[in-house]
Amino acid sequence: MNKKALFFSVLIFTIFFGAVQLYFYAQSLWQPQKHVVTIAVSKTPLSTPFYVAKAIDAFDDTCVIVMFDEVIGGQRAFAKVMSGEAEFGTSSDSVIAFQSLANKSFVSHAMFVQSDNDVKFISRPTANITSAAELKRKRVGVTKGTASEYFLSTLLALEGLTIDDVKLHHFQPEELVEGFINNEVDAYIPWEPYAFQSVKLLGKQVKIHHTKNVNTLSFNLISQTADNLLVDKAKCILEGLSTAIDYIASHPHESKKIVINELQLSPEFIDWVWPDYIFKLGLNQSLILSIKSQAIWAIATKMTSHTQVPNAEHYIDSRAMLKVSPGAVNIPL
Amino acid sequence: MKGSLSQRIYLFTLSCCLLLVLLFGSVLWSSQTVELSFVRDDYAKKLDNHTNSLKQLVMSDNIYASHYSVNKWKILQKKLTRLLKSAPRLTPKLQTIQNSIHSQNETLKWVFIQISQNKLNNASEAIKDHLKARLMMQLEAIRSDSLQLSAIAHNDIYNTIKNEALFITSVIGASILALLFGAFSLTNVVRKSLDEVKYAFKKNRSGHFEKIKLSHQSQEFDSIVKAFNVMNEQLSETTVSLAVMKEVVAERTYILEQLSNTDPLTKVANRRALFERASMEFSRAVRSKNNLTLLLLDCDFFKKVNDEFGHLFGDELLIHICNICAQEIREIDFLARYGGEEFIIVLPNCDIKGGIETANRIQRSLAAHCIAMQDKEVCVTLSIGVCMLNEQHKDLEQLINDTDKAMYQAKENGRNRIEVLTPPNLH
Repeated sequence: MNKKALFFSVLIFTIFFGAVQLYFYAQSLWQPQKHVVTIAVSKTPLSTPFYVAKAIDAFDDTCVIVMFDEVIGGQRAFAKVMSGEAEFGTSSDSVIAFQSLANKSFVSHAMFVQSDNDVKFISRPTANITSAAELKRKRVGVTKGTASEYFLSTLLALEGLTIDDVKLHHFQPEELVEGFINNEVDAYIPWEPYAFQSVKLLGKQVKIHHTKNVNTLSFNLISQTADNLLVDKAKCILEGLSTAIDYIASHPHESKKIVINELQLSPEFIDWVWPDYIFKLGLNQSLILSIKSQAIWAIATKMTSHTQVPNAEHYIDSRAMLKVSPGAVNIPL
Repeated sequence: MKGSLSQRIYLFTLSCCLLLVLLFGSVLWSSQTVELSFVRDDYAKKLDNHTNSLKQLVMSDNIYASHYSVNKWKILQKKLTRLLKSAPRLTPKLQTIQNSIHSQNETLKWVFIQISQNKLNNASEAIKDHLKARLMMQLEAIRSDSLQLSAIAHNDIYNTIKNEALFITSVIGASILALLFGAFSLTNVVRKSLDEVKYAFKKNRSGHFEKIKLSHQSQEFDSIVKAFNVMNEQLSETTVSLAVMKEVVAERTYILEQLSNTDPLTKVANRRALFERASMEFSRAVRSKNNLTLLLLDCDFFKKVNDEFGHLFGDELLIHICNICAQEIREIDFLARYGGEEFIIVLPNCDIKGGIETANRIQRSLAAHCIAMQDKEVCVTLSIGVCMLNEQHKDLEQLINDTDKAMYQAKENGRNRIEVLTPPNLH
């Protein structure tokens, strides 16, 4: 190789190296300002996308530094958001439906998981309950204003009953099993992981009824009614969630391990619930219909004292999702 | 890199072919990816259409009416289920949506079973409305998922085409650069090698049989250079160049000139050279009106020394006198043997005073340096005539004659002396 060729090679290498350095420098300048956000995360495998996002550092490339405030149940997450303790939270569509009746000022930015078998109907074998029809005049434990209460009302209605036909006992989600053990109720409607824990704890003392498809539960990212800054933050959270959801789709085993470690769960439990979960980002008409139908149902079945059917569209903010994944937004304008 | 030019061209052609294969492969891969994405999009659209048909069936009639055709629903539902089973190959992300649609479809089936059960005929309107809303919700969920699936397929098509266009542009760009570089480097090798060979031929013509050293190695030129170098070596051994010949002639001419102008005994200029130089100085002095002085030196009693010590000593003595004179004169002065024991010194730009001074120096030096002969020192003297060019001198012979007269005066006046010819005595 002659000197000229060597010179040109060195020159091209220097230019290339310089350009790469400049690119990284410029990129560091263009990095958006980082916001610290607190998310009230419901401590359930339904929140898998959040735990995976954190584990694979999916939020690192976004404009947010995420802090988790772990709570039990979407209702508590909702309360934290409304009290301002957390900017964002994870709540089920049932919680959104119940809270919309109270005309609270909040929005859902996206749905990130759905399950058609998360809420279970458990009874005492000795109570001889073979179907929801036999719940009449029985003591039933539920968590008020959640998917648990909505699920029970649906089950009863299918058998021509209402919640007035049963003796309703309200418990916090983690206290349902205790209520059952203390013989305060004959049946109860928990969600996971409490259904699994019941089986593990009580074995043949509980009977789980087949209720798959009775209710499709979805978990959503919610915040108070959002200004532009909050929408920007939501966009960044959704970017991280989108990365995590893609990772879950392509690395299900690794994702399961992450949730097992983060939530200190048994692999057996994850194998129990995992087939029912569908992790995907979306914001569509079915969520609006779900909120609306559940609100109407709550009024019709007198689960709430409110009588005004809310405008479900007011509780949906598609601005962040349209920036992250416009193809996953199907809401008529 | 040493290789033949043809090898380089073959390699270059092969690289171009490989790039073409790469391009063809990528286009093929992209077309397959795009085709698959179109199949997925088509699948998503079919799902959407089926879901819309089911929605219309729900909306067009009272689903709880006794005349409601459950069979129509069941046929469409079965078609939808069959369609779901005929899904094309999906990516993990699309598979998640497919799973969602499948799950929604199962729920849809369940809800419809609840609706179509006879027992619901007696159920409250609220649960009927609620279940109908659930049915619509499930259908809407399937439709939304189908649209999302379609949007992803569209996005995949766009990204594949964009990436392929970028790849093709990059490969073509790189190929053009490589082509330019290859053409430039090949031309450079040929041009430089030809220049080097041409230069060697040119040198050869002028008698410089230099070997060719190629700055770029290539088998083709190497073989030419090898043959040329062998030929050159043979030529250099058998050919004398014109330049060398000129040098030899010039050298010989110089030697001959030296010989023709030099006195063989004393090695100083001879009479011929004296007249040549003196004439030149004479003309110059006349032209530029400068001074010119001649000294004519004659060794006193030279015949006696010759007789006493022999001719060889006489010759030695003459050489000694010349050496003494040469030491005492200036660079521009000219010493020549005039004949026998007589010498003339031409002193350009020198007046009579300078001439006398030079003559004095020579006499003093000669007196100080006697010549040894058989443990005996032999000292000789010189009679010197001095004459400076003046207006009366029309030619060199007159000036030499006057100097000669001055020298005879010195002889007549007792030898070992300097005599200057005064103007009245001039010829």
